[in-house]
Amino acid sequence: MNHKKKQNLENLLLLFFLIIAILVPLIFGSNQYNILLVTTVLIYGVMATSWNIIGGLAGQVDLASFAYLGLGAFTSGTLLIRFNLTPWIGMILGGLVAVAFALLIGIPLFRFRIKEVWYALTTCALVEILKVVFNMWEEIGGPVERYLPYFSGSVYHMRFGSYVPYYYLILGMLVIALLVNSRIAHSKLGFYLKALGEDETAAEVLGVNTRACKLRALVYYSFLIGVTGAIYANIYGFIHPSFFNGQESIKIAILGIVGGRGITYGPLLAALLLVGTQELLRASLGGEVSGLYLVIYSVILILVVLFKPRGIATFFQYRNKKPVKQEVKKKNVV
Amino acid sequence: MLSEQILKTSKLTKRFGNLIAVDQVDLEIKKEEIIGLIGPNGAGKTTFFNLITGLETPDEGQVIFKGTDITTMSPHAICKLGMSRTFQVAKSFTEMSVEEAIRVGAYNRRGEEEVQTKVDWALEFFELEDIRDYKCSDLGLSSLRKVEVARAAATEPELLLLDEVGAGLTAAELLKLMSELKRLNEETKITLCIVEHVMQMVMGLCERIFVLDAGELIAKGIPSEISNNQRVIEAYLGRRSYSESSSTG
Repeated sequence: MNHKKKQNLENLLLLFFLIIAILVPLIFGSNQYNILLVTTVLIYGVMATSWNIIGGLAGQVDLASFAYLGLGAFTSGTLLIRFNLTPWIGMILGGLVAVAFALLIGIPLFRFRIKEVWYALTTCALVEILKVVFNMWEEIGGPVERYLPYFSGSVYHMRFGSYVPYYYLILGMLVIALLVNSRIAHSKLGFYLKALGEDETAAEVLGVNTRACKLRALVYYSFLIGVTGAIYANIYGFIHPSFFNGQESIKIAILGIVGGRGITYGPLLAALLLVGTQELLRASLGGEVSGLYLVIYSVILILVVLFKPRGIATFFQYRNKKPVKQEVKKKNVV
Repeated sequence: MLSEQILKTSKLTKRFGNLIAVDQVDLEIKKEEIIGLIGPNGAGKTTFFNLITGLETPDEGQVIFKGTDITTMSPHAICKLGMSRTFQVAKSFTEMSVEEAIRVGAYNRRGEEEVQTKVDWALEFFELEDIRDYKCSDLGLSSLRKVEVARAAATEPELLLLDEVGAGLTAAELLKLMSELKRLNEETKITLCIVEHVMQMVMGLCERIFVLDAGELIAKGIPSEISNNQRVIEAYLGRRSYSESSSTG
């Protein structure tokens, strides 16, 4: 019951956000640069929200998000360049390639019980390895950007001549990511992920197949980011091994943690606040005081860690009353 | 009482390097019994639990649960078959509420539609309704232990292993827990196996007792037999210097 109430509040907040988000292009519509900025912020939002499934709910600090973004981008981009396959199909295939790769990595990792710091380090290395591989793989990648064929205004090629449709595409992805997140969080899988994230042994003896659950979380996460990667490639119009960005992958995890692990809208909130501020500052001050945005970014981080260690989203969360010890005892005795 | 056996171990052995933690243990647990497993510190009780529940794999021997060989099965599969446990050091889901923690257990046998009924049953049975919305990290030890038993009971096991649930509780809390366990056994027909140091709890609750010492099963029987058993007394207190002394049953 209480459960339902919480869910309703969440849905309401999301609806509110959505309405504002839909209106954004009407406000900035005339300035393509601003639209691109907001789209970038939302891309981080999508990625952090997807990360929340594996990192927030399941507690696995995954630092490979840009690996899946890159795989999605390269799959869709290469198919478009080589076979003129529409990115609308390419993005689904991109998601599937990301999933396949995630399973390839996830199955042995979880089989050998790699977790915590070791999981983080392994996934961190993954991004860097992929970057090197794609740099050397001349047929598909290579050190030079590969431009996607340009056809102005061709919907088939996901080319619009304006950033606004991309903005809505990413917004759509965000909504899907949020819905998937929320559905998982309130389902059996969500409870199982939260349980294993806290204590795998305890979860196992309560009947949780921890390995299978973690793999399922990995599948959702990598698919969402893989599809986003395909759109990402189309927004920028090229594919390049620098898409496999280790540093930004860490940032996604930071957004997930700062936003509030396991809270559906937490990572999005962090993305809007942190990446939003960052892009805004970079845009407005970048020329004059370079690096200032990093200082402000860090200050926000420190403040959150100090005052809201469970995440920004806990500001808005229904807080359970702390039990007054005596009261509890009295009630138990009666 | 039915005499059908639910769990049987044969020649169960676990070594850690040179140390033999569990040494050729053969024991049987019958359906609907309340079994006590006692022994001095380091006797191998917890290791024995780990072997049965699949958290560790034995070096030798077999575990048969309801006629199935579960020796190498994983813990979650064993739980699906109908065995769950609690831990000596409470492993709580600190960020979850009491209700949510129990829900994790209840999902073992229930789908989304039925799970809430099972959760409500467990909350009511263990009298946790008042604190259902509290975070586990905010609970005291006695409530934590209860939550742990409740979430294990919510998996609807046929055999429930309790590893020192009484440790650290006050006398009043202990009595309450004992009556709840007794009632659990009577109402749900769950077989209980209790590892315990608190003798009051073991003697008052258990129908049969197994005694482990240095990994070996040194005695089994009803409580009054155990408390008069010479080897058990030696294991706990050392060899007696005086010959006869009355023991309480």
